[in-house]
Amino acid sequence: MNAEELKQLKEQALEETAEAGSNEALEAVRIRYLGRKGVLQEVMKGLKDQPPQDRPLIGQLANELKQELQAALTDKTAALEGATEGPETLFDYTLPGDWHSMGTRHPLSKITERAVAIFRSLGFTVAEGPDVETVYNNFDALNTPPAHPSRDMQDTFYLDNGDLLRCHTSPVQVRYMQKHRPPVRIIAPGRCYRRDTPDATHSANFHQIEGLYVDEQVSMADLKGTLSYFAGEMMGPGVKIRFRPHFFPFTEPSVECDFSCHVCGGAGCRVCKQSGWIEILGAGMVDPNVFRAVGYDPERITGYAFGMGIERIAMILYGIHDIRMLYENDVRFLKQF
Amino acid sequence: MKLPISWLKDYVDFDDTVEGLSDKLTFSGTEVEGIIRVGSDYCGVVAAEVKAVERHPNADRLSVCEVFDGTDDWQVVCGAPNVAVGGRYPLARIGAVLKGGFKIKKSKIRGVESFGMLCAEDELGLSENHEGLMELPGDAVAGTPLSEILGPPEVILELEVTPNRPDCLSVLGMAREVAALYDTTVNYPDVSLVEAGAAVESATRVDVLDPERCPRYTARILRNVKIGPAPDWMRKRLEYAGIRPINNVVDITNYVMMECGRPLHAFDQSLLQEGRIEVRTARAGEVIRTLDDAERPLQPDMLVIADAANPVAVAGVMGGAGSEIRETTETVLLESACFEPDGIRSTSKTLGLSTESSYRFERGTDVGETEWASRRAASLMQQFAGAETAPGVIDVFPYPPAERNIVCRLERVNSLLGLRGSMNELLRCFALLGLPVVASDESFCTVNVPTFRGDLEREVDLIEEFARLYGLENIPERSPSGRIVKEANDRRVRALYACQANLCALGLNEIQNYSLVSPKLLDLFDGGKSKERETLPHPISADQSVLRTSLIPQMLDTLGKNHARQTHEAGLYECGKVFLHQADGQSPVEVERLCAGLYGPVGRERFDRRRPVAPDEMFLWLKGLFEGLMAAQNVGGWRLTPLENVFLEKGYAVQILLGDQPIGLLGVVNRSVRGAWRFNEPVGVMELDTNELLVHAFSIREIVAPGVYPPVERDVALVADCSLTHDEILRVIEQAAPKALEKVELFDLYEGETIGAGKKSMAYSLTYRSWDKTLTDEEANEYHNGVKRALRESLSVEVREG
Ligand SMILES: [Zn+2]
Repeated sequence: MNAEELKQLKEQALEETAEAGSNEALEAVRIRYLGRKGVLQEVMKGLKDQPPQDRPLIGQLANELKQELQAALTDKTAALEGATEGPETLFDYTLPGDWHSMGTRHPLSKITERAVAIFRSLGFTVAEGPDVETVYNNFDALNTPPAHPSRDMQDTFYLDNGDLLRCHTSPVQVRYMQKHRPPVRIIAPGRCYRRDTPDATHSANFHQIEGLYVDEQVSMADLKGTLSYFAGEMMGPGVKIRFRPHFFPFTEPSVECDFSCHVCGGAGCRVCKQSGWIEILGAGMVDPNVFRAVGYDPERITGYAFGMGIERIAMILYGIHDIRMLYENDVRFLKQF
Repeated sequence: MKLPISWLKDYVDFDDTVEGLSDKLTFSGTEVEGIIRVGSDYCGVVAAEVKAVERHPNADRLSVCEVFDGTDDWQVVCGAPNVAVGGRYPLARIGAVLKGGFKIKKSKIRGVESFGMLCAEDELGLSENHEGLMELPGDAVAGTPLSEILGPPEVILELEVTPNRPDCLSVLGMAREVAALYDTTVNYPDVSLVEAGAAVESATRVDVLDPERCPRYTARILRNVKIGPAPDWMRKRLEYAGIRPINNVVDITNYVMMECGRPLHAFDQSLLQEGRIEVRTARAGEVIRTLDDAERPLQPDMLVIADAANPVAVAGVMGGAGSEIRETTETVLLESACFEPDGIRSTSKTLGLSTESSYRFERGTDVGETEWASRRAASLMQQFAGAETAPGVIDVFPYPPAERNIVCRLERVNSLLGLRGSMNELLRCFALLGLPVVASDESFCTVNVPTFRGDLEREVDLIEEFARLYGLENIPERSPSGRIVKEANDRRVRALYACQANLCALGLNEIQNYSLVSPKLLDLFDGGKSKERETLPHPISADQSVLRTSLIPQMLDTLGKNHARQTHEAGLYECGKVFLHQADGQSPVEVERLCAGLYGPVGRERFDRRRPVAPDEMFLWLKGLFEGLMAAQNVGGWRLTPLENVFLEKGYAVQILLGDQPIGLLGVVNRSVRGAWRFNEPVGVMELDTNELLVHAFSIREIVAPGVYPPVERDVALVADCSLTHDEILRVIEQAAPKALEKVELFDLYEGETIGAGKKSMAYSLTYRSWDKTLTDEEANEYHNGVKRALRESLSVEVREG
C-alpha cells in the first residue's frame, strides 16, 4: 500500500468511526483497522515489500493513522456514553473548599504588633518589664507625689509584700534607663492593672504602649514629628495630630494628643462624636526628676515619653463598643480579625 | 469645676463667643469638658395667674383653665396634674417661640380652643423636669416677663482642672487665665471695709498650736449680723457652681471660696466656749458632730479648730453642728486660714468625708490671699447681712514663705521645645500670666513667683507656661531621626510574634484572658492548693482575686463558654504570663506560657465532621499541633513521657521534656473536669514554657540536598499486641535498616474483630534510596527482608507479606 492509499484509508477509517451509532459498531471499526488481524497490521507486514526510500514515510503515516483513529474512537465512545446519560454535567465548583483555615491574632495583639512595627521602623526597639512592680519603679522614680491619688489602695492593686501590679507601662522606662546610658529609644507594650470596676469602658486588666526617647537635644518638635508619623501609619494616611496641654507627674511639659478622625477626616461623625478629633495618647518631655532618679544629668540630656491604651485604639479602629468584648474570647468575634 | 460665664465677666473683659473661649481654654491647659446653657430670654413667656380650672369635656386628663396674663383672660387647655386655681405659672402666649423653635399658635385640643400654653420646666429648657407646670412664686405679678423673674440666661463651662493648678479652682484664677489668653487685665473686686465697734483683739483670741499644719490663720468678728437669704443673684451663681444656698452668711463664705479659691468658715461666736479659737490636733476620745449631722470620732493626728474646750470644726474639711450659723446668730467669727495639704487629705480620707473645702486644701491654696479673702467676705457681709466689722484682723502667720525666684534660660526653652523663640516672646508670655520678671538679659530672665502659683518651682515649669501660651500648635513637627542604639535587642519579642504567627498558621485563634482569676476555677486544676497562689489582699471581686498560675483553667473556661454558645468546634491559643507564688515574701515569679486548647472536629476534613470525636483523635491532633509548632520554632530534642495529672485523662496525658527538663504538658481533659462545662466530648489542652520555644526561632540550619537517584518504596504490615508501641516498632526498623532507608511512614492502623481481640494491625511504608546510584529491585528487597526479619525476631509480631 503506497502513501496515497494509506491517506485514503485514514479518511475512510475516520468516516466509519464518525458514522458508527453504537458501541458494537465502534468495536467493529476498531477490530477492522487496529485489531490483531486488522488492516493496519497488514500494512505493517507489507512494509518490507515497499522500496526502502518509501518505508519511513509509510511508517509515519501508518503511525499517524493509528493515533488519530484511537483518539477518534475514544471521543466517539465518550460521545455515545454522554448521549445515553443525558445532558453533560460538570464538576460543582461551588462546593465549599476543604483546607484548614488560618487562625487569627487577637485584636489587642494585632494593634500592639502593628504599633511596634511602626516604631521599630523609626529605630525604636522593644523593652519589657514585669507586671509585678515595686512602688519605687511604678511611682517614686516617676516623680509621683507621695499623696497622689493613684497610689491609693482604691486605685492600685497591692500585693501582701507591698509590691504592686503596675498601673502603667512607665516603670519599664525606669528599669531600662537604670541599666542603659543614653541614647535610649524604646517602645514598651505590656499589660497593666487598675482597680477599676469593670464596665463598657473600664477593665481592671488592660494594655498600654509606652515610648521613650532620650538623647542630647531631644525636643518637643521631635515628639510631634514622631507621633505625627505614627498617626498616619497607624490610623491611615492623612491623619493629623494636635497637642493639648495637660499634666502628668513624669513629664513636663505634658500634653494630651488627639488624632484627626480617620473615619470622617475631621468633618465630624459618630466615631469622633462630631468633633473631628479623637483623644489617643498622653505624652510630654521627661521630667528632670525622673532623669535624676535614674542617674541621668537633666542638664545634659532631654527626652520625650508617650503612652497610649491598646484597648482604646482597638475599640476605635474596629468599632468595638464594649471593652469586655475583647476578653470574652467568643470564637465568632475572634474569627473576624 | 463649673464656671458661670457672667461671673467670670465680673473680673475680666473679653470679646469672644463661648465656643471661642472654650477652645482657647482647652488649648491652654484647662479642658472644657462641657458647655451648659441655662434659660433663654423667654420672649413671649410671662407669669400668669390661673383663675378657674374645669375638667375638659372630652378628655379626663386635660383641664380647661381661665388664665390672666396681666391684661386679658385667656382660655388655655392644660394637661398638667398640678394646675390649681390661684397658682402662678409661666404662660407662653400666642407667638412665643420655645425650646427647639416650637412656636405657640392658637389651637384646638380635643375640640376645645386653647390660646397659649402653660409651661413645665423642660419646655422652657430650664431642666429635664416634666412632672408638672413650673410653679412661680406666689407674689409673681401676672404679666411680668419670665426673664425678669428668672434672671438672664447663663452659660456655664464645665472645666477639668489638672491637679497641678489648684489656683484654677476659682473664678478669679480662671479670670487670670482668661486675661492672659486675651491680653487684658483682671479687675479684682472691692474689699474696702467700714469698721466699727470694739477691736477684734478685745473680742476674741486665736492660738495656733500646730503652725506646721496651719501656716496661717486669720479671724474677723462681724457683729449685728441679720441672718436671712442671700440675694438672688448670689444664690443663683452658687447653684450654677453646684453649691446649695443656705443663708446669707454661709452663702457668702461659699461665694468667696468659689471666687478666689479660699475655703472660709463662719462660726456663731456665742456658741464658742470663751468665744475663742484654738488650732490643735484632736485629743484622744474627742468626737464631733459635723454639719452633715454625723457623729465623728476624731483621731489624734487630725487637725481641729477648737474653742476653749471642744473641737468645733474638722480643720479644712467641715464645720461642727454645735457652732454653726443659725437664724439667731448675731456675732460671726469668720475664719480664713491656710492648712497644709497632706494632713487635710489624710483626715478627709480617714473620715470618708470629701468637701469643696477639703478638695481645695488638698491641692494647695494660696497662703498670700488668706487675709484678702477674709476682707472680701466681711465686705459682702456688710452689704448683704447688715454686718458691722470689728476693726482689725487677727492674723497668725508666724513664718511667711520666702520670696521665690526662678531663672529661665532662653536657650533651654528653645532646645526643649524645638523652637526659635525670642527673649521678647518669653517676657511677653510671663507678663500676660502676671509673673513678674525681676531681672533679664538676652539669654535669661528671672521670674519672681507669686504665691498663687505654688506649682511653679523649676525652670521647666516656666518652660511649660511658655509652651502653653505660645501655643503647642506653633511648635513645628520635626521628622523622626536619631542615632542608632547599638546595644538594643528585642529578639525575644520578635521571636514571640513569629511564634504566634506560626500558631495562627497552624489554624488556632488567639485569645486573651485576664491575669486575675477566680480561686474556685483554679481549685479544679490544682487540687485547691491555695497556698501556692498569689492572692490579692484587696481584689475588686472574688472572681478576680488571684494571679493566674496556669493558662489552662481560663482556656478550659473559654472553650466551655464557646461550647455553651453552640459553637461546635474551637482551636484556641493564648500567650501570657503566669505568676508563681514565692514563700519568702518575695514577689511572685513571672513565667511566660503558651497554651492551646481544642474541642470539636477541628482536625477533620469538611465532609467528615458529624462523627463523634474520639479521644485518640483529639490527642493526635494536639500532638500534631505540638510537633508542627516545634518544627516551626526549630526546637529539636524533645520527648514525651506519661504523666499523672488531676485534670487529664489517664493514658492521654504526657509531659513534654526538652533534654531532661520538663517544659510543659499535653493531653485530653478528664471527664470530671470537662463535665464542669458540660462537655460530653474530648477536650484537648497543652501548655508550654514559651521562652523555650523562642531560643532557636531565628536559627538557620544547613539543608540536606535532596537525593537524585530514584527511590524504591516497600510496604510492611504487621499484626501485634495492642501494647506494642509505634515508637518500639520504629526503633527496630531503624536499627535494622541500612543507610539507604530514607523514610518510614505509618499509613494504616486497624483494630477490630477480624484480627482478634487485643491485637492491632499496622502498616508502614518504607522508602529506600541510595545517595550514589540507582537501587535495583534485588537490593531493595534484600534491605526490606532484613527489616521484616528484625521485626519478627525482636518483636515477635506477625509480619504479613505484600
Ligand atoms: Zn469623625
